[in-house]
Amino acid sequence: MISQWLSQIGLVIRLEMRKTFFSRRGLWVYLLALAPVLIFLGHSLSEISNRKERQAMNAAHPVSTETLRSIQRGATLEEVVEKVGQPFAKMEFHRPRASFDIYQYTDGESVYVFGFQNDRLENIDRRDRDTIPKDSLIFASVFQFFYLRLAIFFGCVGVFTNLFRGEMLDKSLHFYLLTPIRREILTVGKFLAGLIATVTIFCTSTFLQLAALSLHFTGSEISEYLAGPGWGHVASYLGVTAAACLGYGSIFLAAGLLFKNPIIPAATVLVWEGMNMFLPAALKKVSVIFYLQSLSPVVAPPDATLPAFQRLLLTSAEPVSGAWAVLGLITLTVVVLAVAARKARKLEINYSTD
Amino acid sequence: MSNGQVSDRIVLDNVSRFYGEVLGVNRVTLSVPPGITSLVGPNGSGKTTLMNLITGLVRPTRGSIQVLGISPSDPEKLFRVCAYATQFDSFPRGMTGFQFIYSYLRLSGMSHDDCQRTTAFAIGRVNLGDAAHRKIAGYSKGMRQRIKLAQAIAHDPRVLVLDEPLNGLDPLVRAETIALFREFAAEGRHVIVSSHILHEVDTISDQVILLSNGYVVAEGQIRGVREEMSEHPMQVIIRCTRASVLASRVFEQDHVVEVRLHADGGGLLVKTRDADRFYRALNHLALDGVGIESVAPADDNVNSLYEYLIGGEESTR
Repeated sequence: MISQWLSQIGLVIRLEMRKTFFSRRGLWVYLLALAPVLIFLGHSLSEISNRKERQAMNAAHPVSTETLRSIQRGATLEEVVEKVGQPFAKMEFHRPRASFDIYQYTDGESVYVFGFQNDRLENIDRRDRDTIPKDSLIFASVFQFFYLRLAIFFGCVGVFTNLFRGEMLDKSLHFYLLTPIRREILTVGKFLAGLIATVTIFCTSTFLQLAALSLHFTGSEISEYLAGPGWGHVASYLGVTAAACLGYGSIFLAAGLLFKNPIIPAATVLVWEGMNMFLPAALKKVSVIFYLQSLSPVVAPPDATLPAFQRLLLTSAEPVSGAWAVLGLITLTVVVLAVAARKARKLEINYSTD
Repeated sequence: MSNGQVSDRIVLDNVSRFYGEVLGVNRVTLSVPPGITSLVGPNGSGKTTLMNLITGLVRPTRGSIQVLGISPSDPEKLFRVCAYATQFDSFPRGMTGFQFIYSYLRLSGMSHDDCQRTTAFAIGRVNLGDAAHRKIAGYSKGMRQRIKLAQAIAHDPRVLVLDEPLNGLDPLVRAETIALFREFAAEGRHVIVSSHILHEVDTISDQVILLSNGYVVAEGQIRGVREEMSEHPMQVIIRCTRASVLASRVFEQDHVVEVRLHADGGGLLVKTRDADRFYRALNHLALDGVGIESVAPADDNVNSLYEYLIGGEESTR
């Protein structure tokens, strides 16, 4: 019997794959998954372009890093120019009681902005090029705020609610219900098909995002990062992506069975997940984002120099261990799937009212 | 009723189904034997609800159903012996006729090779071989009806439930389809069809179930049902050479309530409360040289039953 059920699950997955991967209706899910890849690609290309520009400026106005770093506040404009030469860019402002000069230099890597007031150096601003630790925080912010909470969330809404609801709208669900298959088996088969599709789409996107983000780093920087926490981070992000598809997938599969209009439960879950950090400890555990944040490789509290809003997003209040997070998420998924299977068992075909 | 009897019947015991406050069917008790059974009734009378109940697509609010001893709430068993071609004219997107039948057939546990063979055979039985590998989206209405029928018969079910299966079929295919139903019924299987086309129901049915407003108003063999309707005298058309003589003789019978001579003088219409006595009397009269050419019942058909029991709103269709 179990082998027959497994075989039926496999057949349902095969039947559903065509619909989940190649339906025109699901095109926006791919766009949603690709959006952060484009963001990180744009960021990397911009960084590469900036570096080339800095190196060209440095070639035109050569100055070493040591010389630039030796400049101290209080030096006069003449002393600075004597030491490091003419800047690659300068601006002047004149007010009735003061004059301001801004001189920009580069050693090919960083940009040094010297601010003079009345010909005396008052401010030094060094703009380093992006480093891997800095970019990994940017990635964590985009991953947790946009990717998990919006892209994967709505991607799962699109894929999983349609597994049953879409077929009710197409008036083709009855073909399944008229075959010798238990409704629970059908539910599991459809869920796994949705899971395979979303994990493939979103994990590919996660990997491409990381690849796109690393484009502007040198080979040695990347090798050093991968030899350290790099591979662990990659694996963790892929794992969290898959876990998000698992958790949100089960919820939206159930929503597609329980509600005629999936927008209402989707909006409710979105609000619930958004207010997770303000919920009491017991209620936090009845959410997907709580476990996903606990599994995310960027640990809280993040860099204190980050803006407060970004810190809030990256903070997981009372995070649990990885094992508990996985166990909690699986428990949540199984409970929700059990509810969905129970509903599927009692499902009736009445397309005119659906 | 013994187990043996139950297992070859479709039994509905006091089944009711309500959609909120709207009545689907009410207090339906039936024991349907093998053969071709037609569900007849106007729109909204409960035909489709009854079929959906039998196949578990909807559940009864009250009562119980057994299909050859299997509950419709057990699809794993039910759909090994039962098939249902619904009225919905929609199919999974992007599939060819062959893929459509093959894919769902595989779920019944057949091997790939068996499925290929069975699918090809089922498609051949409905004469869709040439279109088997074309997308269903490009099929005509009649072809879509046939592919649904092919899917229903593919796994060789003992119970075939078909909602308006003859809709959209041209006369030739219609005749072939009816022949297929007869073939199934002759093998001792159930073929349950709903139809609005009464003369076809009349031709193909072994028994009828007449529904009106969610209630079963009559069930059984057409003649049997008709005979029980004593408030409507049976009508018999007789063609003969001496119609006026026969008319006067026939009218002497106390069970004859009306006699009408045909305008051409070559026949008459007789209304009688007791068909058996009338036919016996007619045998004697025939010996008196009235030249009887033919005798035919005029109203023991579904059309008349429909008109008497439900009303004439759709009886002419």
